[in-house]
Amino acid sequence: MRATTPSSLTRLLALPSPLRVRTFSVLSRPPPNYPGHIPLTIPERLSLAAGSAIGSLFNPYRHDLIASLGETTAKPYFLSRLHRAMLNNPTGRRILRDRPRITSKSMKLEELRHMPENSVGRAYAAWLDREGVTPDTRDAVRYIDDPEEAYVMQRYRETHDFTHAITGLPVIIEGELAVKAFEFANTLLPMTALSLVAIVRLKKVERQRFFEVYMPWALRNGLKAEEVINVYWEEELETDVEVLRARLGIEKPPDLRDIRKALREQKRKEREAKEAAG
Amino acid sequence: MPARISALTGRSSFICAQCRKALTAPKRRRLLSTSPKTPEIYDVVTVGGGPAGLALLAALKSSPVTSHLKTALIEIQDLTKPRQWSSPGDQFSNRASSFTPSSVSFLETTGSWAHVDQTRIQAYDEMQVWDAANDASIQFDWNAETQKYNAPPQTIATMCENANLTRGLLERIVELGAGSSLFSSTSVSSIENGVDDPEGLNLSTWPVLSLESQSQPHSQSQSAGQPPSDTPNPTPTNIAARLLVGADGFNSPVRAFAGINSSGWDYNRHGVVATLTLQPADSNTATDRTHDFDLFSSEPLPNRATAYQRFLPQLGGPIAILPLPHDRASMVWSTTPANAAYLKSLPPSAQVAMINAALRLSQTDLKYLLSLPAHSHSDSAKTDTDADTDANVQHETELRWRLEHTDSAPADLTRQQPPPFVTGIQENSLASFPLRFRHATSLINPRVALIGDAAHTIHPLAGQGLNLGLADAKSLAECIAYSVSHGMDVGDAMALERYSSARFGRGLMMAGGVDVLNSLYQLGSGGDGMLASVVGQARGLGMKVVNQLVPGLKGLIMRQAS
Repeated sequence: MRATTPSSLTRLLALPSPLRVRTFSVLSRPPPNYPGHIPLTIPERLSLAAGSAIGSLFNPYRHDLIASLGETTAKPYFLSRLHRAMLNNPTGRRILRDRPRITSKSMKLEELRHMPENSVGRAYAAWLDREGVTPDTRDAVRYIDDPEEAYVMQRYRETHDFTHAITGLPVIIEGELAVKAFEFANTLLPMTALSLVAIVRLKKVERQRFFEVYMPWALRNGLKAEEVINVYWEEELETDVEVLRARLGIEKPPDLRDIRKALREQKRKEREAKEAAG
Repeated sequence: MPARISALTGRSSFICAQCRKALTAPKRRRLLSTSPKTPEIYDVVTVGGGPAGLALLAALKSSPVTSHLKTALIEIQDLTKPRQWSSPGDQFSNRASSFTPSSVSFLETTGSWAHVDQTRIQAYDEMQVWDAANDASIQFDWNAETQKYNAPPQTIATMCENANLTRGLLERIVELGAGSSLFSSTSVSSIENGVDDPEGLNLSTWPVLSLESQSQPHSQSQSAGQPPSDTPNPTPTNIAARLLVGADGFNSPVRAFAGINSSGWDYNRHGVVATLTLQPADSNTATDRTHDFDLFSSEPLPNRATAYQRFLPQLGGPIAILPLPHDRASMVWSTTPANAAYLKSLPPSAQVAMINAALRLSQTDLKYLLSLPAHSHSDSAKTDTDADTDANVQHETELRWRLEHTDSAPADLTRQQPPPFVTGIQENSLASFPLRFRHATSLINPRVALIGDAAHTIHPLAGQGLNLGLADAKSLAECIAYSVSHGMDVGDAMALERYSSARFGRGLMMAGGVDVLNSLYQLGSGGDGMLASVVGQARGLGMKVVNQLVPGLKGLIMRQAS
């Protein structure tokens, strides 16, 4: 027997599935699309985004909250745009085909330290040593539904350190904010722009320096540079850093640690001079 | 009021000046004979032997009201070739059109449809339309109505090759004994207004055509056993037309003669056509291509065939797959001239990969595929190195990789079938033609009427172009029949107004509507930005509303298009 067709009124009142806001309920989650995938409903996503934003503002060391903020705010448009930017570029397509992962196993620090002077690999190893971090501190992507877009997010996260390495910016808040501003202009991910709210945590001097030097540098270079997500870092380890920067169109910003050290030295000298005088 | 004249008795009453002049003039007025300069007069002269012109002639000759009219159809090409057209059962011409039920009904009424080879046509019951910029889709079918009455699926349209129709029309015309009306291999060297012969007829408001025969002495074709009624008379050089019908295509000389302007624009797009081989869907739907339905079955009756259309805003237009018998299909892909040239330069396997990609992959992937270097098949004469083979299969490998990662299942899965897989392309069937929009500013002038492409050219996305021509032919035939049965001059401007008022508004609205649809589906074609994305999503929302939310809207659209 054929089902009776619903009357027009019933059809109008019951919105069809594409127009309904929620496509599944928490009691019947669809199966994961890749290992570790957790599908979220829209209210879950919004509340996770809000909670992550507030939590990471109060404690910027909560990298997992920053990660979940990134994932919950990247859809519907921004991650797809980044994905398309990778698909439009031949190197980006190769990265999507090969799906390389950056871990401490794939990036052996011992080998990187012995690479030629001024190469990308050497700069990366030097930066990791200077800041005291390893490539393993990146969380796995969980809240992106499409497996390929999840990989794009993962790749962005894992290559974040390379952006630090070729710009020389340190892991302190000021350096991270400068890199995030650069990444916003380059990748358009909303999380990078939302992270800039952490400017309120900077001291006055730092804030001034940020607005005068580092934010203009970041926005200018992020916009004019090539998409950094399309760099096949595993193949660029032996390239000269200057050459890579020139190819991407990135200027090296003033070394932040040196500036801070110089300022600290100056303050120390002034204090000593005052104590000696007084 | 002239007085009665009694020439015999010489008794005269008042005689007016003109009559006196006529009577006393030394030369006598010829009344029943024509001078050698007077052109032969025909009632209806149709210039152009395409489907519209032939359908008009068949309609005129098949109706008892108009069959006595003296008709002529002038066609520059040799019409014996279309009459003898034949093609193997598994090969189909790449010029195939979709005929709406109204067109088929008109052809049936005039007796032409019986002469169309029914084994080479395919009726389809469903059309699926979707957009690459969003996940919305529309299914056009009559299920809502047929399920109410437990009826078999109702036809949306019928696919038929243009050559098949032309042959059928020509056979019907010959069957009606009107083969002598066909002036084949004849060109019209000029059309002018006639002269006012003071001792003959005043043809100054009548179109007079000068004809030139293009054919060589046809001893061979005439000895092929054609019956005498088919043999056209020796082509006269000048003929006058009571009604001149322009069915002569885009650059209509008849329209130029009538001084009717045609306004519109070029779309800067090409329609790429080809004949494809599709993968059979399932075993049970493959056998359901017959017209028989088991009416007592409790299962919903399956569709005989489905047509698919996917809009690709960033690539210039839609790709449509229209079904033909035996798992074949006709493709019409409206795209930019650069893309059309690229597709034509690819080897057939890469063309098949591109068509499959166009039906399934994202526009980003398609643009990348279109940027791959085209490995021209003229290079296949060289020995195949590995690099050559790799370059040869680039499109296929990219397609296979991207298909794994493209989510082809759209969100709305109520009754949708995925698009078919194309497995092959008929040799030498890929060709392209430019797309244009034109509409004449008037369909009629005194003693002139326009039908078919001479009157309007539209975008192929709705499959309406040929149907408009046939509807024009039907309407004009009805108008001529009305004029004849009411004793009017068939070429009189007021008599022709009937045709114009029936068809001008309808044709213009259809042409304009199709153009608006085309523009709508080109919005958001400028790149991948946020605005384009928003526009695409908004359009998708509109499609979902039309498909499901507003009851009766889809039915209204389908009724207009049929």
